[in-house]
Amino acid sequence: MKLSPSRWRDTVVGILIPIGAVAGALLAGVLILVLAGVNPVKAYGPLLIGPFANLYGIAQTITKATPLLLVGLGICIGFRGGVINIGGEGQIVAGALFTTWVGLQLRSLPGIVLIPLLLLTGFIGGALWGAVPGILKARLNASEILSTIMMNLIAAQGVSFLLRGPMIDPAEIAYGTGFPQSEALTEWAWLPRVIPRTTVHLGAIIALVMAVLVYVFLWRTTIGYRVRAVGYSKDASRYAGINVARYAVLAMLLSGGLAGLAGAVEVMGIHHRLLDGVSAGYGFTGIVAGLFGKLHPIGVIPASFLFGALLVGADKMQRAVGVSPGIVYALQGLVVLFVVSSDLWVRRRSARRVEGGGEELVND
Amino acid sequence: MINELLKEGALILILASGVRLATPYLFAALGEMIGQRSGVLNLGVDGTMMLSAFTAFYVTFASGSLALGVLVGVLTGGLMGLIMAVVSVTMRAEQGISGIGLHLFGLGMSNLLFRLSLGAISTVEGFRPLSVPILSDLPVIGAVFFRHNVLVYLAFVLVPVAWVVLFRTPLGLKIRAVGENPQAADTLGVSVTGIRYLCVIIGGMMSGLAGTYLSIGLNNMYVDNITNGMGWIAVALVYFGRWHPWGVLAGSLLFSVVNALQIWVQVRGIAIPYEFAVMMPYVLTIVALAFAVRRAQQPAALSKPYERAEA
Amino acid sequence: MQKYAMFMFSVLLVAALLVACAPPTPVAPEKVRVALILPSTIDDLAWSQSMYEGVKAVQAELGEDRMEVTVTENLWNPVDAAAAIRDFAEQGYHLIIAHGAQYQNSLFEIAPDFPDTSFAYGTSFKTGDNIFAYDPQAQEGGYLLGIIAGMMTKTNKIGVVGPVEAGDAVKYNYGFVQGVASVNPDAEVSVTYTGSFGDTAGAGEMAKTHMDNGADFLTGTAQQAVGAIQAAKERGVPWLGSDMDQSVVWPDTVMAAQVYNWKEVVRRMVDARVEGKKGGEHLSLSFANGRLSLHFNDRFNIPADVKAKVETTLQAIKDGSLVVPLPSE
Repeated sequence: MKLSPSRWRDTVVGILIPIGAVAGALLAGVLILVLAGVNPVKAYGPLLIGPFANLYGIAQTITKATPLLLVGLGICIGFRGGVINIGGEGQIVAGALFTTWVGLQLRSLPGIVLIPLLLLTGFIGGALWGAVPGILKARLNASEILSTIMMNLIAAQGVSFLLRGPMIDPAEIAYGTGFPQSEALTEWAWLPRVIPRTTVHLGAIIALVMAVLVYVFLWRTTIGYRVRAVGYSKDASRYAGINVARYAVLAMLLSGGLAGLAGAVEVMGIHHRLLDGVSAGYGFTGIVAGLFGKLHPIGVIPASFLFGALLVGADKMQRAVGVSPGIVYALQGLVVLFVVSSDLWVRRRSARRVEGGGEELVND
Repeated sequence: MINELLKEGALILILASGVRLATPYLFAALGEMIGQRSGVLNLGVDGTMMLSAFTAFYVTFASGSLALGVLVGVLTGGLMGLIMAVVSVTMRAEQGISGIGLHLFGLGMSNLLFRLSLGAISTVEGFRPLSVPILSDLPVIGAVFFRHNVLVYLAFVLVPVAWVVLFRTPLGLKIRAVGENPQAADTLGVSVTGIRYLCVIIGGMMSGLAGTYLSIGLNNMYVDNITNGMGWIAVALVYFGRWHPWGVLAGSLLFSVVNALQIWVQVRGIAIPYEFAVMMPYVLTIVALAFAVRRAQQPAALSKPYERAEA
Repeated sequence: MQKYAMFMFSVLLVAALLVACAPPTPVAPEKVRVALILPSTIDDLAWSQSMYEGVKAVQAELGEDRMEVTVTENLWNPVDAAAAIRDFAEQGYHLIIAHGAQYQNSLFEIAPDFPDTSFAYGTSFKTGDNIFAYDPQAQEGGYLLGIIAGMMTKTNKIGVVGPVEAGDAVKYNYGFVQGVASVNPDAEVSVTYTGSFGDTAGAGEMAKTHMDNGADFLTGTAQQAVGAIQAAKERGVPWLGSDMDQSVVWPDTVMAAQVYNWKEVVRRMVDARVEGKKGGEHLSLSFANGRLSLHFNDRFNIPADVKAKVETTLQAIKDGSLVVPLPSE
């Protein structure tokens, strides 16, 4: 793929405009900081530099970005296939649950077998949890937005039940502390750390590989093409003889599977056991990462990294200046709103170039 | 259990509790429905509710006036709606992300302002139940529907109002036209931008009412994260109601009555794991949606920004 | 080459010996730097606020020039908390309190990298070389409050509005139910859960349903409980509190409360450092060691026989003649 000069210019502008938008959001954020009696310079240092200042900062960012990337990739497949998957939270939980349960049964397997098996198990768990809304939509025209939101809540309660009863760590009962967590997985099942003494684990590399795989799937395979076709126009796809219902279910299944994989790597790479609240909001933040990445698997990589950096930096800011946790969310909200608004100018430029928009269809 | 449930007293209590619980969903979901009818998906409901819950509470706390509290709560919601409209209509931004951004902003600002102004949990004298003369004496129905506070009545009154506006007025026709086919509406001289601004702002105000009800009509206090995710369920209920006020009413009532029922089941000490009780409304809402017969489609232009074709 | 190596080796050896033999520098009154990581907020009127106030109380005792406190809130997620724990450790904080059992893995992973830093968390039992674990015996206070409710209820119906059936809440509720049963076997205690720590509206509605059902005493735990207390207030039903004494906000509703004296726990950890112990202690909060206490609200006329019964039971718990069992025992 050769880039013409005008395309280069678009790329540069396409990067500069979002950066300008972040700057705009932070400028607006100054008002909030001043309102809270915080020196903006002191606050923005850790926010902007913290995530990249040293190895640990970068490691924290990558740790955060890993589940966001996986969920965001799932969002790519889902949204491209015309299903709006807001069920990432529940699918992460389902993946984490499957992985933990199977991991606790197969303690004696060596890592080389156990790790791939558990990753697959997590994927299947998320896929099954995602398949339910997919089937309900395909067969009964039940909105996946509603069913995925409800399935999130059901998953949370279900895991809560399992963790205080059947799956609770026997030590928690023995000592009477009763904290709802499962027993720890055998070390065979732990994902190796990629950067020593940090929390960056093999999951980060798995997520990057998945990004490439999702790209290949969506743009280089017939099935992927059909998924996109169904998302682009149901009627035209039906006319072309594609089984629309089947592909909608498939999109939801894969979308859920990737979120389930996120749950699996969180358990295997970070917690080494199942805890309440393992999804930690990644199911929602991953949507933002996916959409910021323009629903393109390769675009989601920088999007999730930058959003991870924003989350890490915001926490660092809170610690550095001791501001209320609300400022963190308010600033994140502003950044999202500004960046998403600035997209207008990016689109205007590319619209002027493309004229007619035919290229968008093939290659967007 | 069934015998106990059939006792008139139990049923009335559950239904009355369901009506109280349905109120915030009803406000927020009706507002979201109006916005979606005009083609704008606003996922910022939860954050809007939180911020309004705070401002309404604070103003009531500081001034002692509930009316002023409601006014400020509604205006706060309207302002959040305005932000959403600017971002999603004028800037034509992706609506899903815009809404999540708005939600985060509302979540953060409510926490920050609470910390800066009050800093500790306090309470107010909220709206008191107001029995409707005559109607409140009706058997069963009286106790279920007519012994609540004025915000509850308002929520239920807004259902037919929304229906009349959407389906029996020229304005409603325009809203639906903009949501279904903005190009055609534009050609006919309807301001797509104007209608969408109006609907998103009204939607924000209704979310504001939902939040206001939580802080000065139901809990009579403000705590962080007061909605605990209600706004998301309200969005889901719009899909349940298939963009129809009566459907939204049915969904809100179903969800909330089942919720009241599960609370009652727990209180009566019926032996099931409480998690399964808590799940009941979620599961039943999915089941009910799956087996509902109507096949209404969502507004054709939902979540699609409108750009006038340059001639 | 070999000579050079030998030379270097002896130099190093001598240097090491010199360092080892150097007289210990007198310990200057160290300014203790304490970092607190909270799952919720400092104003939740429950778990997080009670710890925050405990740390602040120790700071007030020692003076701000001898103790520095940094707080970070809303870090329920262990991943975010892990980042905070490591940051604080790198910044040289002496004592890092991660106030939740969910932080266990993170602490055990990070603590070995910072052997001079003390870490603490709970509710748990598992300690490490430089890790303290703390653990409130919430069932004891539950038992005492259960006695009050059991003796004073007229309807023989008592409601418990719990968050999630886990950790503290289970211990407290279990103790409460036994306390009621010990004085009034006829009373019915209905234990319910909202399924969430933050469902204030749900807790309020649950409290109303309990009262509709005839309950004339209510209790419950976690930050969601405030919704239930407010509902109780509106119908004039007394509340029995835990974690903190919420009568500050509801003076006419909260009749008595079990209070976690985190101050004592934090003080013990700070003192342990002075003694040279960086962790390894399991700090239980009980009535016997004074880290739990019972507060009565003077606005209520609690009958003398009730107070007497609570007092004798409290003594029995303190001297060990009464052990309130846990579900597992």
